[in-house]
Amino acid sequence: MKTIDARGLACPTPVLQTKAMIDKEDPEMIQITVDNEAARQNVVRFLEFRKFQTTVTTEGNDIKIVGKRGPGTAGQQEADMAGTDRNSSQILVMISSDRMGHGDDDLGQKLMKSFISTLKEMGNELWRIVCVNSGVKLAIEGAESLPHLKELEEKGVSILVCGTCLTHFNLLEKKQVGETTNMLDIITSLQVADHVINL
Amino acid sequence: MIVGLDRADDAGVYKITDDIALIQTVDFFTPIVDDPYWFGQIAAANALSDVYAMGGVPKTAMNLVAFPIKTMPVSVLREIIRGGIDKLKEAGVVLIGGHSIEDNELKYGLSITGLIHPDRILTKHNMKPGDKLILTKPLGTGIINTAIKGGLAPDDVIEKVTRQMAMLNKNAAEIMSAFPVHACTDITGFGFLGHLAEMIWGSNMGAVIQREDIPVIPEAIEFASMGFVPGGAYKNREFRESMVQFSEEIDPVTRDILFDPQTSGGLLIALPPSHADELLSRLRQNSMDTAAIVGYINTGKKGMIHVK
Repeated sequence: MKTIDARGLACPTPVLQTKAMIDKEDPEMIQITVDNEAARQNVVRFLEFRKFQTTVTTEGNDIKIVGKRGPGTAGQQEADMAGTDRNSSQILVMISSDRMGHGDDDLGQKLMKSFISTLKEMGNELWRIVCVNSGVKLAIEGAESLPHLKELEEKGVSILVCGTCLTHFNLLEKKQVGETTNMLDIITSLQVADHVINL
Repeated sequence: MIVGLDRADDAGVYKITDDIALIQTVDFFTPIVDDPYWFGQIAAANALSDVYAMGGVPKTAMNLVAFPIKTMPVSVLREIIRGGIDKLKEAGVVLIGGHSIEDNELKYGLSITGLIHPDRILTKHNMKPGDKLILTKPLGTGIINTAIKGGLAPDDVIEKVTRQMAMLNKNAAEIMSAFPVHACTDITGFGFLGHLAEMIWGSNMGAVIQREDIPVIPEAIEFASMGFVPGGAYKNREFRESMVQFSEEIDPVTRDILFDPQTSGGLLIALPPSHADELLSRLRQNSMDTAAIVGYINTGKKGMIHVK
């Protein structure tokens, strides 16, 4: 456990020391000792702001604040996102249209269907598919690619479908595969992936 | 002597003739912003504020300087003084002297002397039941200054708050002088509730404050939630807690903001309800666009402030 002795220090120094420690070490547990009420309340508030669970004990003039990382905090989420199996690299495929390439739209749709049905050949390294803009149309009922996406999902590929885009096309009710997602999840996914393929 | 140390007030007042009284005050502090020129302006605006809060007209000023001449370039001092003088010019006040000493920690402030008619002194202690309370500047400068010290406040927020702290209460005071104001003070180190507590104590009244009407710098809410509340806010709360009754739904961050020590804060004005709306619209027309009616005075629970 990381410890900080912030006794005798005026606000905002105890909070700043706590912040610096969390930013640098990303600890699971942290203990800060302060000696005044203002510092206690500010440090507790900061830890809770950073999603730590806090307990406070008093010994004489010393106030000991222990922060424990709660479930669903930033560091934890990142670990979950990254998955448990990190032996191989993770590939993310970003699909931002319901057709592949520009030129002929009919051809583009055929190519996209073919691409999705062949995507399984990528093997275990295929980690996640993100559908945005008209790409979400691949994941709705009646779409030719739907069975192939479902197959991929069953094999453990994670599929994220942009909620804003579904709403835009009025297709929110018709989505048949994957999780409806937001931009923050998409950005975190892009950050965590080892390789990103843009379509 | 008309106003002295027996009751807490913003400045001392000494009667010279039946028409003229002298109003005097002094205030100095350590830097709150990095820019020395702006610090000088803020220190001057803060010192002048006590005279405005009592309805007086400031006339002359003297500098008070404590400066670490061995470790800090003298150009810093020059910039601070320049900021102070520019603010005095804006207020129509003449600098007539001053005194400086060497000190490890930089401090700057001013002693201000003004004039006031002995019958037109605005103390903190003459509030009447039903009076409306008007606050002319938003709260939260103490919290923002703490975030600035911590290096967390973005530049645009620093600039906004710096300008607010350097803004004179002169305009507010001049506008207010045309209205039948019962009592006035400026919000500084004791925070909004601390100063209001002094007012109702002296007037033997109670007050009701509507939380949603209080003007607050939006970023102060954010920084207070992150734990950037100055020690002074806790001291203010401890000192006056017994005089304040918070409705349950008032969250801890709001309570801290209401006790947040202000640097060069706005005026808190008590006047009859029939004139409150007009004074408010005059203030808003004169670039105090966040000024608001924040509550009223009653006789229900004397010496108690109820924050709803």
